[in-house]
Amino acid sequence: MAFIEIQGAKKQYGEGEAAIYALNGIDFSLEKGKVCVILGPSGSGKSTLLNMIGGLDSLDSGSIRVDGEQVTGLTKKELTAYRKKNIGFVFQFYNLIPDLTVEENVQVVAEIAANPLDTEEILKALDIEKYRYRFPRELSGGQQQRVAIARAMVKNPKLLLCDELTGALDTKSSRSVLRFVEKVNREYGTTTVIITHNEAIADLADTVVRIKDGSVASVKDNESRRSADEIEL
Amino acid sequence: MKLNRRYRRNIRSNIPFYASVTVLTMLTLLMFYLFYVAGTGIRAYGEDFFDTYRCEDATFSVYSEIPEGAVAELERKYSLTLEKEHTASADEGSYHMRVFTPNHKVDLYEIQDGHDLVDGGEILISAGYAEEHKIGEGDTIRLKGRDYKVAGTFLRPDYLYLVENVSDDYKNVSDFFLAYLTPAEFERVFGAGTINYKVIYSDQSDEKEFRQEVNETYYVSGYLNADNNKRITFVYEQADMFLMSSWIELVVFPLLTVALVCILLGRRIRAEQKLIGTLSALGYEQGKLMRHYSLFAVIPGLVGGTLTAVASLALAKPFGAIGLADYEPMKPEFRLPIWVALAGIIIPTAIYYVASMLRVRALLQADTVALLAGAVGNDGKSRRILAKKKLPVKRKLAVRQLIGNPGRSIVIFFGICLGAMLVAFAFSFLDSVEAVGEKAHDEFGSFSYEYILGTLRQGEVTDGETVLAMQYEDTKSRRFSILGMDADSRLWNLTTTSGDRADLDSGFYISTLCEAIFDVHEGDTFTFRNIATLEEHKVTIRGVIKNGYESYLVASKELVAELSGLPVDCYNAVLSKTALPDMEAEATEMITDSTYRTQMENMKESMAGVIDALMVIGVIVCVAALYATINTLISENAYTISMLKVLGMENGRINSMMISSNHLLLIPGIVAGIAAAYGIMAWYCAEFVEVENIMIPATLKPISIVLTALFTVVAYVISLLLVRGRVNRADMVDALKDGRE
Repeated sequence: MAFIEIQGAKKQYGEGEAAIYALNGIDFSLEKGKVCVILGPSGSGKSTLLNMIGGLDSLDSGSIRVDGEQVTGLTKKELTAYRKKNIGFVFQFYNLIPDLTVEENVQVVAEIAANPLDTEEILKALDIEKYRYRFPRELSGGQQQRVAIARAMVKNPKLLLCDELTGALDTKSSRSVLRFVEKVNREYGTTTVIITHNEAIADLADTVVRIKDGSVASVKDNESRRSADEIEL
Repeated sequence: MKLNRRYRRNIRSNIPFYASVTVLTMLTLLMFYLFYVAGTGIRAYGEDFFDTYRCEDATFSVYSEIPEGAVAELERKYSLTLEKEHTASADEGSYHMRVFTPNHKVDLYEIQDGHDLVDGGEILISAGYAEEHKIGEGDTIRLKGRDYKVAGTFLRPDYLYLVENVSDDYKNVSDFFLAYLTPAEFERVFGAGTINYKVIYSDQSDEKEFRQEVNETYYVSGYLNADNNKRITFVYEQADMFLMSSWIELVVFPLLTVALVCILLGRRIRAEQKLIGTLSALGYEQGKLMRHYSLFAVIPGLVGGTLTAVASLALAKPFGAIGLADYEPMKPEFRLPIWVALAGIIIPTAIYYVASMLRVRALLQADTVALLAGAVGNDGKSRRILAKKKLPVKRKLAVRQLIGNPGRSIVIFFGICLGAMLVAFAFSFLDSVEAVGEKAHDEFGSFSYEYILGTLRQGEVTDGETVLAMQYEDTKSRRFSILGMDADSRLWNLTTTSGDRADLDSGFYISTLCEAIFDVHEGDTFTFRNIATLEEHKVTIRGVIKNGYESYLVASKELVAELSGLPVDCYNAVLSKTALPDMEAEATEMITDSTYRTQMENMKESMAGVIDALMVIGVIVCVAALYATINTLISENAYTISMLKVLGMENGRINSMMISSNHLLLIPGIVAGIAAAYGIMAWYCAEFVEVENIMIPATLKPISIVLTALFTVVAYVISLLLVRGRVNRADMVDALKDGRE
């Protein structure tokens, strides 16, 4: 059974003539431990799909199953528990909590996780232990994104969802961040979904899904994955 | 300006905030309005009634009756109005009455129900007693063996506050009333009765000369001017008490509330700094932006002020009626003056408008880049608190919420404090009144009975201590008593404020109330005069005796006899531990150890409506203030809250993380509120000394403190429950879009 199974996923915003189908019948699946890159132009529905998989929003119709658990139809409370147990998020603009230090941003998630990883280990793995007492505002974009990955990973999630994680970074920082995503996938075996409009990132993936106007345009499995150092950003 | 299209949308999406600050503005203005309307209504009625029904300036009695011709001559000579009044007392067992013949020049009466006296078989009775006992026209009243038909009920200006004796502290309409009989019937039943003289002075009158002549010719036995007559002054005193309350409330509560709302509006504007920065970057002038944001701020002032003015139209009458509980059934008009209503609308609105303008201006002084980043006012220093400590993040965040946002913490503290203050003030009022009932008698002494006799006696009384009590006045005609006691009195409190026993043989001691009213202290020389003869005396005050309920000087019988020219063994009051039936039969007034308690219980009962209203308003203000404040806190932390939800944190845990730190403010907020309420009550009581001639001890009992804390905590919990939904509704997707550090 696939780790992620999405069938006929539909999501509409607005009503009547102003209605926009963000997702218009998406179907695809992903095996456990794989890296999936979802590509598509702005407004294609990538982020909406990610939000649905992550349990931040709910479908109008269709279904999403993650690790055998039906996400569609969960109550708000159940969705919260689902996110807490399964999902690690990394966002384009890092979305760190400004009032917390680097270490605390990671700890705040560790404190609610059932089986968290060691905070020290994660800070070291992402090479941010020297910034532990700094606040997000005092870090570069790349550093902040690494903190965001650390925060996502500390709960040892089954699924890491990355939304345009290099979108706000320069090339050097982007490569560094991608290197850490790779490392996380390799070392922790975390299934990873990356959405991006950067074609080059597709080479990191096992599976590449292209989305256009809320529908899957194509699904392609890469014969081999390239490393972050090998791709042209 | 297209930008102004935001108004409706912004208000619609922030209705809870605007509603709560509007309610806050309304409630605190309402408190001022209601007290103000009650005070001005009572005062206006009193002024009009006293004028229309020719209220006396003084009443006096003489040993030798003034002939009718002499009355006219005195009126002409001193340009005054003088009238002889016949009165008599009658005790019918379950009730007793003071009966008069109708006057024609001074202290006229107004028929309330029924008709005036037509024949000797009719009687008019005072309206308060009639109302209390549901007696009306056609009923009968038994007097001296005859049933009189009640012709109607009346009010008279010198008895709008119906105390049986001028020294009583509270009215009695339960078993005492006034009555009128026709002159012929009065004479048939009582003969001439007791004769008092009522006088109204004109601007040309020389009161002192008149009194001297009357005393020299007719020997004055008693003189009471209207300023010392509680039955008359209480109308103004009560009105002034309401007005004083309104001004105290205006100074304290609405100003605090307006300050609180200004802070909340300011924080709301600060939360919009990214937009302000953007608009500024787009070229919007400072003035335009200031006006734009200030117009948001006028809503609570305009809506709150207008709604309060409308509400006061409906509430003024029932609230004012609560203030009338102490009087005979007066019918004042309670109306909110237009200028006060307008001021209530304009002043808060203007303050909110200006405060918002200044806030926007202050923001625009900052760097536009910082505004665009939303970094103005976030210096980050406070965020470092506990950064390197190994503590749970929840606790660190709580501490930073508290200390790292002093402005916000102050606002929450302020909200708690305001609510606690209102509730504690209401409790304190009740406790203080109760304390009078509980402590007053102890300050008088250990006697159980005090018999006030209408006449002077000589000799000894078995089982009792005799007292010579004389009325004197200062040069401003303010009255007080001089008491002549046995130096070894066991029943009267003779402990000085320094803890020693007063040595009555060595001189005159002053009560604390007298000290406060006349501003005469230990070692000072006090100048006063005999009420009848106006002869001046000077004594040096030897010490002070704690008694905040009666204004008196006390000395040994010998010293008082020397001062008054009366024999040493003269007395007109008796103190005793046990009841003295003989004395009771002869006494014109009897005070027992429960007298004060009963009077204060009655006062408490009559004020219960006002106090309950104050308490309810206090709790609502507390809820509204805290709701508005915590709502602002949630708005300011919307991003963090949403992000924590994204990370999988449960709503309850988020609520606890974001809000629980404020629980720490509860205790200091409540303590500060209680302290402030006590302070205001102490100020109020100090003002009360002048108005009511009584030193009410500002009191707040432990149970009231506990109840205040409980009420405030309940209000706090209610406000938390009301804002709980905000966390539940926080939109995670929106937060992801906004979270750009």
